[in-house]
Amino acid sequence: MEKSGSFESLGSKPSSSRQPSVDSLSSASTSDRSAQAKPPSALSSDSMSTSTEFSPELRVKPKSTAKVRLRNSDKEEPQVLPNETEQEKAQDATYLCPIAGALQGTVMLTNYRLFFKSIDREPAFMLDMPLGVVRRLDIYRTHREVSFTIICKDTRNFQFLQKHPTDPLKKSIFEALPKFAFPVSNGLQLFAFHYDQVFPENGWKVYDALAEYKRQGIPNESWRITKVNDRYELCETYPAALVVPVNIPDDELKKVASFRGKGRIPVLSWIHPESQATVTRCSQPMVGVNGKRSKEDEKYLQAIMDANAQSHKLFIFDARPNVSAVANKMKGGGFESEDAYQNAELVFLDIHNIHVMRESLRKVKEAIYPNIDDAHWLANLESTHWLEHIKLILAGALRIADKVESGKTSVVVHCSDGWDRTTQLTSLSMLMLDGYYRTIRGFEILIEKEWLSFGHRFQQRIGHGDKNYTDAERSPVFVQFVDCVWQLTRQFPSAFEFNEYFLITILEHLFTCLFGTFLCNCEQQRLKEEIPKKTVSLWSYINSQLEEFTNPFYVNYSNHVLFPVVSLRHLELWTSYYIRWNPSMRPQESVHQRYKELLAKRAELQKRVDELKREAANRSASSSSERPSSPTRSVTPVQTFV
Amino acid sequence: MLTGSKTTFKVRQMLPDIKERMLSQSGGTARSRDMFGLRCLPGECVLQRALMVRKKLTAREGRGWMSGTLFCTHFRVAFVPQDAPKPDDNTDPVLLGDHDVALALIEKVVVVGPNRTKLVSPNSSLKFTPEELLLYCRDMRVICFLFDRLTPDAQVLEITYTIAKTYQPLKPGSVLSFQNAALGSVEMKQFLSNRRRDAHMNWFESASDWEQELERCGATTWRVSSVNDRFEMSTSLSRFIVVPQKVLDTELKKSFAHFNEGRIPRWCWRHPRGSDLLRMSSFQNNIYHEKDDIRNLEMVLFGCQSSLCVVVELGDELPSPADIQLAHSRLRTLCLGDVSTSVSVPDDKWLSTLESTHWLDHIRLCLRKASEVACLLRSGHLTVALQEPEDRDMSCVVSSLVQVMSDPHYRSQHGFQSLVQKEWVMAGHRFYSRNNYHRDNDKEEAPVFLLFLDCVWQLWFQFPSRFQLTADFLLALHDSIHLPLFSTFLANCQRERCKRSQNLGQSYTPVNGWRDALPPDSPSDPSDPPLPPVWDWALQYGADRRACFTQPVPPTPPLQPLLNGNLNTKPDAHRPADSAPGSVFLLSRGSFTCPANLPPWRSSASGVYKKSHRRAPSTENVPGLERLLKAWSLTATVGPQGPADAYEPLLPLLMGPCMGLWRECYLRGALHAQAFSHPVSSNHLHPVERLAQDVQQLKDKLAQLSPGTDLDPPAVTPESRRTDANLNQNTNNATFLFSASKPRSVGRAAAPPASVSRAPPPSSRPGGKDFGGSNKHTFLFGHSSGADGRGDSRYHPLPNAKLPKSNGSSLAS
Repeated sequence: MEKSGSFESLGSKPSSSRQPSVDSLSSASTSDRSAQAKPPSALSSDSMSTSTEFSPELRVKPKSTAKVRLRNSDKEEPQVLPNETEQEKAQDATYLCPIAGALQGTVMLTNYRLFFKSIDREPAFMLDMPLGVVRRLDIYRTHREVSFTIICKDTRNFQFLQKHPTDPLKKSIFEALPKFAFPVSNGLQLFAFHYDQVFPENGWKVYDALAEYKRQGIPNESWRITKVNDRYELCETYPAALVVPVNIPDDELKKVASFRGKGRIPVLSWIHPESQATVTRCSQPMVGVNGKRSKEDEKYLQAIMDANAQSHKLFIFDARPNVSAVANKMKGGGFESEDAYQNAELVFLDIHNIHVMRESLRKVKEAIYPNIDDAHWLANLESTHWLEHIKLILAGALRIADKVESGKTSVVVHCSDGWDRTTQLTSLSMLMLDGYYRTIRGFEILIEKEWLSFGHRFQQRIGHGDKNYTDAERSPVFVQFVDCVWQLTRQFPSAFEFNEYFLITILEHLFTCLFGTFLCNCEQQRLKEEIPKKTVSLWSYINSQLEEFTNPFYVNYSNHVLFPVVSLRHLELWTSYYIRWNPSMRPQESVHQRYKELLAKRAELQKRVDELKREAANRSASSSSERPSSPTRSVTPVQTFV
Repeated sequence: MLTGSKTTFKVRQMLPDIKERMLSQSGGTARSRDMFGLRCLPGECVLQRALMVRKKLTAREGRGWMSGTLFCTHFRVAFVPQDAPKPDDNTDPVLLGDHDVALALIEKVVVVGPNRTKLVSPNSSLKFTPEELLLYCRDMRVICFLFDRLTPDAQVLEITYTIAKTYQPLKPGSVLSFQNAALGSVEMKQFLSNRRRDAHMNWFESASDWEQELERCGATTWRVSSVNDRFEMSTSLSRFIVVPQKVLDTELKKSFAHFNEGRIPRWCWRHPRGSDLLRMSSFQNNIYHEKDDIRNLEMVLFGCQSSLCVVVELGDELPSPADIQLAHSRLRTLCLGDVSTSVSVPDDKWLSTLESTHWLDHIRLCLRKASEVACLLRSGHLTVALQEPEDRDMSCVVSSLVQVMSDPHYRSQHGFQSLVQKEWVMAGHRFYSRNNYHRDNDKEEAPVFLLFLDCVWQLWFQFPSRFQLTADFLLALHDSIHLPLFSTFLANCQRERCKRSQNLGQSYTPVNGWRDALPPDSPSDPSDPPLPPVWDWALQYGADRRACFTQPVPPTPPLQPLLNGNLNTKPDAHRPADSAPGSVFLLSRGSFTCPANLPPWRSSASGVYKKSHRRAPSTENVPGLERLLKAWSLTATVGPQGPADAYEPLLPLLMGPCMGLWRECYLRGALHAQAFSHPVSSNHLHPVERLAQDVQQLKDKLAQLSPGTDLDPPAVTPESRRTDANLNQNTNNATFLFSASKPRSVGRAAAPPASVSRAPPPSSRPGGKDFGGSNKHTFLFGHSSGADGRGDSRYHPLPNAKLPKSNGSSLAS
């Protein structure tokens, strides 16, 4: 398949997410009219062009560089990706749709997706599911048929039926499914390693740790970048470049590492450009039942405090509820006692652990899929406690941001291991504190830095290609973080350069294993697996078509701190992500389309301003004798995004 | 407009210095109505004022605090920000400024002192000096003033007492004095009597108004009847009603008796595909029927259609006014908290408590019923008659919702105002009783109209670009209901509005009876102008606010003023096959029946009347009709309609997660929802606004440089301005803090260049000056500029958050 063609298909990718949704009854016949004009919209926000664009493969990205190839209107197959190969095909499957009922149709299995199409009804019904989203497969055989249940990592389940093949040697197509759905468990490679799309932008270059620290003004007189972890010997889950206080030599770092869980010493995440107050992150101190102390660790925290001249206090935010922190002492962990750490104040943020969050989201799924009980919707939602968890996380991040911003005090954040709740808190507070992270590129850097390089265990939490669905390590920590970001964007709609579709796209590809970005558990593993060499970065895909992801309302509030309202009264379930599969939840208007029109409008105005400025400059030059120096323009330039 | 330049001020002010200044003012011929920065209405007296007060700003206003002076007059509590521009004396009076509260809107006055909270009643005395003053308003705002330590204690106490004494908790009689305080002065009366009515909307007062509507809808087979001209047939109906052309007035007259309150089936609206929407009250059972009565009824029902009539019963399925009242009061308590105990629902119970108010359920029911009716109508060529026992509450809601859904005209501001005139004001919704302004009729009180506004808001929220009006407009209307100043809401029917205008016999009378509020024994001065209608928005809001009432860019399908009545481009496949003419079906609880005895008298008695000239309804049509309704649920699954057909009804999604809470309305006062009160300044211009400003300034500059050239500035600016408003109003996002605050700043776009001039360099940025010295940092780090390569493009907040409003006309013009 030639490049341009496959490129287009990529454009359609995000939509594939939303399409499978079921019941998007997409009509193949009317499609190509809108195919050209429509963006891939995973954001279920399209209204105007209705049913046509629900089929993913029909969306051609209007990219001026790529040749737009009109698709045949009667095209039946999804547009395959580079190196996507068909594995199995069956004509006689039945999909038990929870809304539309049983549908007869054709199933196709590739090494990337499961594609079902039924022409039983008009318009044709299609379902396109990347295999990466499969969490669990249940096969149930009766004497006549095989019943197959697919439970997804997002909020969907599918059920298929297939008659036993007449040929006893032939197996059902679904028997082959586990092999491709769980490649890791079956000794195969994830699809990301096969996928070799070339994009104009290289997403692997987005994040450069040293450049990011330089942006923050580091190294400076109080903080230095150490290479002690260059070979991941100090801490294997940390990145190679770490920022530590200047006056702590590397050998002392090793002693501190021995006192901190998994060697995750306090390191700088963010520094306030004015007050020099810092956000530092680490894991719990290994205090244990006996209340062990570490001179080096105490000195280290003192050094963090001293690095900020504005305050003589240090706040330690322990993300856990007090009881869990105490319980951790039994396992050798614990928390800093205020006796040992002079001038430090310990605050518990009451955020629950990954198991609680997993259960909570499971309950959300129960409440929204397949059917919603309208009469008790809010009560059901409340009983999931999901929004309460969101609130606690946002409240924690808000307290951190407030201490740093208003109190000019440095903070240390940790939970038990320092890679789940800690990551959520530091990244959210940085998002509130620093407008740079609220741009598209900045947000990518934030994820690369706080989540990927500092070792959020994506492989364990998501279980890419792993059939072991009962693994207790699974948890939607990252989904929860993006949900929090979405809540922020709702409260400050013009403070973020990216739109909702950007967030949904990230979450979509968290599961699909199409891009290498979210593979592996930490930087060390990623280098060992040569992920950047062998796979494509999600940011390559996104940065190659920024106009899809840009928020037209964005105002560069880079020097503003966002203090969201963290009351349940102002938090909402992110229905356009969690319930986007439900056809009756589809938004009535194409917000996405509207956004693009607004961006165009803005560009047009910008152009007019530029023209006028030129004209003004010309005229003032010509009449310079009268007004030698016309008053400086009183207007700050506005950046364009288009 | 303001003609009288007489400035006679009655000042009952105790402070001597004020008296002196008053003297000096009234001595001259100055037209100034300005008192210490407060622009008074003619005749308005300042009773008390307090300096150095800070007002808490809502999220919409940008949060944080604003310093200024607090006034209490005998009409309002006014707040004038410190840096407010000098009021322009030559403009027409606006009743309430942006920061003011009418005394009649205040429900409770609460003061917060050190460690305590106290509800202040007219007689209470305070044993402490309040630090905060909270005004709980009927429109669900809570306004919070903070007294500075520099505010003299005496002033604090005095103004608290003054407000407590004068705020007029609604009771019989207080409405009148409030009206007098606001509009009673000679100048004000003169001013009001010179106001012209808005000619862009249809007031449905005269026969020609109705004829205009018939023409607009293409309803050629209907006529306007003046049979009720003297309200003899029905006291609650309007003077003019629309009936089938073929029915004569004499025949019509016989029908009135058979309906509750004489509210016979009347035409409301015609769908472009030729379906008619009718309204009627329930049948009177206990009346002797003559043979002709049935024929007359059938004539009225089938007057213009030969096919089907579906009677939609609204009584059982929709919430009763009592339900609505209960739900609304629960919602109110939930959103505002219990004032006296300052207990509010804990956050973790918020969702379930919200659900248990049933407010959202009621909205859902109304929208569902309206969607059903809209689906029936769009199939074409049938008559849908809404029947409610009294025909004065839920049928107003449903019929107007159906029209908002189906007719783009009613989604514009003027169209919507006409709709309210038609389906609520003229149709006799009991605004006066339902609002219970006098607090003398608690049993009847029910915010049916507010429920309707919320339903419209839900539609707007789901289809923002299909509306020309905005949520701001809905909010303004919501708030105006609580102000007992408008003839629109101060009567129960047209007859009451006319009653005091004593000219019942004339063929046309101005009907805005201002007398209604007067106690019956009070002498009426015939020269008094009527109370203004609520639609005279300029009385209430400045141009800035009014500019936000409409989307400047019209919705994508252009509004067509004339719906030529027989649009039948798309014959509906589901349309029931040629049915027996005159079949009547009853839609009740979601299923159709063909009742043998719909008009109750038909089956009764001797059987003489059974023989109607119409065929008995045949059951075979039922499935066809049910399919029409299914078409709706199908639409819900298939997805939104195509954009092309402007007459496809907007069918809202009604699942639990789709029902939104109108936060900008109900949670405006939720002070407890604020975690930190840091000002998050949103007073920055939107990029597009800034572009507009850029363009304007450059043009000005060009004009300066080359005085001879005519640059025709308005060509560009209005467009850019409009785009901005569009940005903010056209998306769902408009509900949220930032963009919600945007439209307000539209009018400020044209600040004088000096104030927008390049902000001070980062180092010297006065971080704390926002909102008068609250030293919370809104912005913090001046990254050493250029560090991120964006130093230049950063927008520095203005030192003063509030831009002066002067010069505002340069853009607006």
